Amino acid sequence: MTAWQGARVRVAFIGKGGSGKSAIGGVFCRLLARETGKQVVAIDSDPLPGLALSLGIPSDDTPLPPDLLEKTNDGSPNADDSWQLRDGMSAIDAVHQYAAEGPDGVRLLQFGKLHGHVRTLAGSQQAFRVIVGGLEETDAHLVGDLPGGTRQPFFGWGDFADVLVVVAEATPSSMLSAKRLARVRERARGGDQTIVAVANKAVDPSDSERLAEASGLRVIGAVPKDPAMGAAERAGRSLLDHSPDAPAVEAVRSLLATLQGETR
Amino acid sequence: MKIAVVGKGGAGKTTTSAVLARTLARGGRSVVALDCDTNPNLGLSLGLGMEATEALLTLRDGVGDEVEHAHTWAEIVERFGADAPDGVRLAVVSQIEDPDFGCP
Repeated sequence: MTAWQGARVRVAFIGKGGSGKSAIGGVFCRLLARETGKQVVAIDSDPLPGLALSLGIPSDDTPLPPDLLEKTNDGSPNADDSWQLRDGMSAIDAVHQYAAEGPDGVRLLQFGKLHGHVRTLAGSQQAFRVIVGGLEETDAHLVGDLPGGTRQPFFGWGDFADVLVVVAEATPSSMLSAKRLARVRERARGGDQTIVAVANKAVDPSDSERLAEASGLRVIGAVPKDPAMGAAERAGRSLLDHSPDAPAVEAVRSLLATLQGETR
Repeated sequence: MKIAVVGKGGAGKTTTSAVLARTLARGGRSVVALDCDTNPNLGLSLGLGMEATEALLTLRDGVGDEVEHAHTWAEIVERFGADAPDGVRLAVVSQIEDPDFGCP
């Protein structure tokens, strides 16, 4: 495929909890890797597991050691940009060392799962942010699976993305969440992110229209309600390994082609 | 009795909470349903509809600088809550509106 040549994909999936961000995101990453042959880094900033399974990666936690970082300047205040990766380590090195490799060569970079008190995650979280920041300069494709709800996407976790894709069902709660995400996005700083929506678990074409009307967002695709998706989730397997020819896989493939027009 | 419903996104927390609240209310109890999600949808599950749910004030609105403070939790729920079916009183704790806030 040549359509993606030269393009660097920077996409983050957002939406209500349970809307299907991880399920779609995992398939999206693997198809993107197959079609472009380039490194795809799946960025999981959700402290609950999900993306690993849909990518087909058995381990769901590969924490980043806090000693990955060093201070750039001992005299500076403790601001975000006063930390860098330790000497000799680039963001892509860190990915090769600490991001689990899954099928189709996709690397899963994880924020670190919540095992104990939130405080123990602080160093790992800082390292995660620095690596994601460093990856923006590379040629790797970046695909983010953000925590559910309306809060996280605009507190820095989705900053790397050129395109925010809201995954929503045509249910009132999911559509209302999409509308809120659009509204909070409108008020967020730095308005250079595109925001679009995808109808998930769609049962008929009117689902996309209803989602567009309720959320005010441009709906760029629909993934049908597909029993194979639920079966793969219950089996704890990637849909691509469980049912490679499922209609939902085909729909994500179309979504990938459509998003090419949204990418710089 | 105080009940908190927790779980993964999409697991059914909101639906479970709403059915619990209305069932308890139908059984004659006085029920306050608290929506503690920063993406609050409990109003929908209680049967308020999209417009009414969107129009709900949050309790956070009640502790801002512009309005005179309520002095008790009952007063807060009275002033900032909304009536849902079966006599459930719904109160929304917080909702994300401003992406610049560090906390909800």
